[in-house]
Amino acid sequence: MTVVATATAERELGPPRLRVGEVWRIVRLLAVNPTIFFGVPWMILGGAWAVTMVIALIMSGAGAPMDEAREGFRYSWAVLSPQWYLVVVGVQAVAYTFSFALGFGSTRRDFWLGMSVIFVLVSAEMAVAIATLVQLEQLTNGWWIGAGMFDALWYGQLGWGFDFFSTFVLQLLVLFIGASATTIYMRWRVRGMMVLLFSTVALVLILIATLTFTESWPAVWTWLVGLTPIGLTLLGLAAAAVAAVAGFLVIRRATPR
Amino acid sequence: MTSTVVRASGLTKRYGSFAAVDRVDFALEEHRIYGLLGRNGAGKTTLMQLLTGQLFPNEGELEVFGRTPAEHADVLRRLCFIAESQRYPEDFTPKHVFTSAPWFFENWDAEFAERLIADFRLPLKRPIKKLSRGQLSAVGVIVGLASRAPLTFFDEPYLGLDAVARHIFYDRLLEDYAERPRTIVLSTHLIDEVANLLEHVILIDQGRILLDRDAEEVRGQATTIAGARSVVEEFVQGRPIIGREGLGGLASVTIDGRLDREERVRAAELGLELAPVSLQQLIVHLTGADLAGATEKEVAA
Repeated sequence: MTVVATATAERELGPPRLRVGEVWRIVRLLAVNPTIFFGVPWMILGGAWAVTMVIALIMSGAGAPMDEAREGFRYSWAVLSPQWYLVVVGVQAVAYTFSFALGFGSTRRDFWLGMSVIFVLVSAEMAVAIATLVQLEQLTNGWWIGAGMFDALWYGQLGWGFDFFSTFVLQLLVLFIGASATTIYMRWRVRGMMVLLFSTVALVLILIATLTFTESWPAVWTWLVGLTPIGLTLLGLAAAAVAAVAGFLVIRRATPR
Repeated sequence: MTSTVVRASGLTKRYGSFAAVDRVDFALEEHRIYGLLGRNGAGKTTLMQLLTGQLFPNEGELEVFGRTPAEHADVLRRLCFIAESQRYPEDFTPKHVFTSAPWFFENWDAEFAERLIADFRLPLKRPIKKLSRGQLSAVGVIVGLASRAPLTFFDEPYLGLDAVARHIFYDRLLEDYAERPRTIVLSTHLIDEVANLLEHVILIDQGRILLDRDAEEVRGQATTIAGARSVVEEFVQGRPIIGREGLGGLASVTIDGRLDREERVRAAELGLELAPVSLQQLIVHLTGADLAGATEKEVAA
């Protein structure tokens, strides 16, 4: 009798296949508390913006030449302030939500796919907003007081499209690096993290040694300088993709804490 | 006609040289309530994590609903397992748990969940991290009950629950189980608390199964004989003794095995009292006396 039951079950189940609903519910699970992905990054950006505005007001109040100040604001990193937080969000998605999703009967594969979907959505949202805010800042000539936060670093030079693309890639890279590094911990615990750390250091040292002994540093510099902003962004996109695929492979055998 | 839900043979999970689950063979039948009993660290949680595909076995065969559970969505969607030490996402509240549960459990009964939340007086908006041990247990119990998963695991459900809450769990579980039979696995080291719920007992110690038997059979397996010391001692002579207590001239001795009719009559004539043995007493005997002290302390607390 039990043999029959098993055979029926086997037939009912069939081969594993991709179910959109099972991936989408992970997206919903990660967004059930929307502050984490959609609230806090904007609180951080808002805070940084407020600080920038106050600084600009103080400067203009003290009679500083605001045209030159605008040049100074270009070196402000305030626009990147949510990045550090988003690394942590990537880490927590795997460290906490992954364990919980397994308890709720998700597969590791569906979890990683669903998490990737929300990473793409969040990156796109941040990219649209920041690229648009760069335009607004330029249009209002620094929020009418000559302050500069978004129109800084590489932003505001190559148009909305590039600002969007570069933010999107940076965001994706930061989230996937946080998440995929944590999969190493979830699979091999502290030992895995140690191996990752030491092998990364060793790899960097080997690279430096090789470049030094073969006297190829000038060639490397030429290559780096020769990279266009688009080329650099594409390189970042490739790195994000590598992190995403590596994380997927590692998490398939990871175990919850 | 019953069908087998879980079948394990030679199932092993090792951490280095330590075997948390050591070449275990067992089966779970459909629509029964199992007690997975054992001391702390006996391997109960590891076994449940294997059954729910959260851990990968080192050796052995494991079939849940006809196939390996790990990474098989079709098996996993029929399971519900909220571990006693379950991790929750950052800044989660019970409300988040119950909002997302219906996305994962197709039989989720929201009304039932709401009733249970009221019964347990669970604060929905308090962060999970700030809940008391009993409230945390209540979250797991509510998910387990309201999910109505064909194979539901309760991991130490009584941990920190007060007497009223324990009673609620007991009542609701039996009530709902009668209406919607499913396979339930209750893991606990507080044995007397769940003894009456169980239909089948699996006793695990140091990663091995010591006992895998019908609960009724287990209960009738041993007898306690009490009375005047000399009379008791004479009566139990030659029988396998598994426990002995005494106070002054009185003694109470537990023997392995049941008494037949003739023996019962003789005991009555001798003025001896016969009492059934609680599941806990028997299990304490089987897994070592240390458990007795530990369990009593926890119940008292």
